[in-house]
Amino acid sequence: MTTVYSSKFYTFYQSDADRCYFIDFGQKLVKLSFCQLLALRQRIQTISIEDHFDSDLNKHGFEILMLCNKEHLFLLNTFEILDLMELLGNALGVLGIANQIGLTSS
Amino acid sequence: MKDIARQRMSIKISTMDLLNNQIKMEAHASASYLAMASWCEQNAFPSSADFFYHQASEEREHMMKIFKFVADCGGNPISPSVENLNHDFSTLEEVFETALDQEITVTKSIYNIQSAARKEQDFLVENFLQWFITEQLEEEKTFRDILDLFEVMGREGIALKFIDERIKPE
Ligand SMILES: [Fe+2]
Repeated sequence: MTTVYSSKFYTFYQSDADRCYFIDFGQKLVKLSFCQLLALRQRIQTISIEDHFDSDLNKHGFEILMLCNKEHLFLLNTFEILDLMELLGNALGVLGIANQIGLTSS
Repeated sequence: MKDIARQRMSIKISTMDLLNNQIKMEAHASASYLAMASWCEQNAFPSSADFFYHQASEEREHMMKIFKFVADCGGNPISPSVENLNHDFSTLEEVFETALDQEITVTKSIYNIQSAARKEQDFLVENFLQWFITEQLEEEKTFRDILDLFEVMGREGIALKFIDERIKPE
């Protein structure tokens, strides 16, 4: 497994052998296929982080995240969501850059 | 490191985002034509209403075409939500002018994806969008021709009735 990116709370890995990704959420290591990664990215993009600062729109500042066809359920607070956004953005960036310059070794 | 993303998906993620945005746009166009059909029904322009029903289903077909393409590429097509639909028009001419403007916006958006795809060397997308570029020319021409009718036949009373009768679904 290759570490792609680490944020404050989480780490993003790629496994060449399994042709998939892993996110270490601290208490749980979650395996993601490429499709599941796209789905997570999409889910994160729909989160309105502004609502977290408005007690009428998001009273407790939590976000419920279901991953991998509802196999996993996470309850994340504002900081954790922001951190996860950073993780995904950067991990995909690193993967993208790796692709562009044709890195084949790990 | 293996390029898993490339193994799983034939297009770039950034291009997929643009295509998902286009899916949304086609869905909006479809719903918007339905709103125009509603206005035409209520204002006694039955041929124009038929025309817009037909346009609405065509736009849905466009949406499905892109949706299927994203799926076929191994991507994540997103079922769109449609917001901010306008149902208010003051004249039949305004309806068709709004429709033309909408088509022009769609054309611009497709050109935009096309140039992004070219930059990313997503030639598959370039090839796919070629059909839409030809289609957009047809759509724009249709509305331009209809708007010409108002110039020729006028905008008052019975003229509008005659214009409506001349409007047929393609
Ligand atoms: Fe269209």
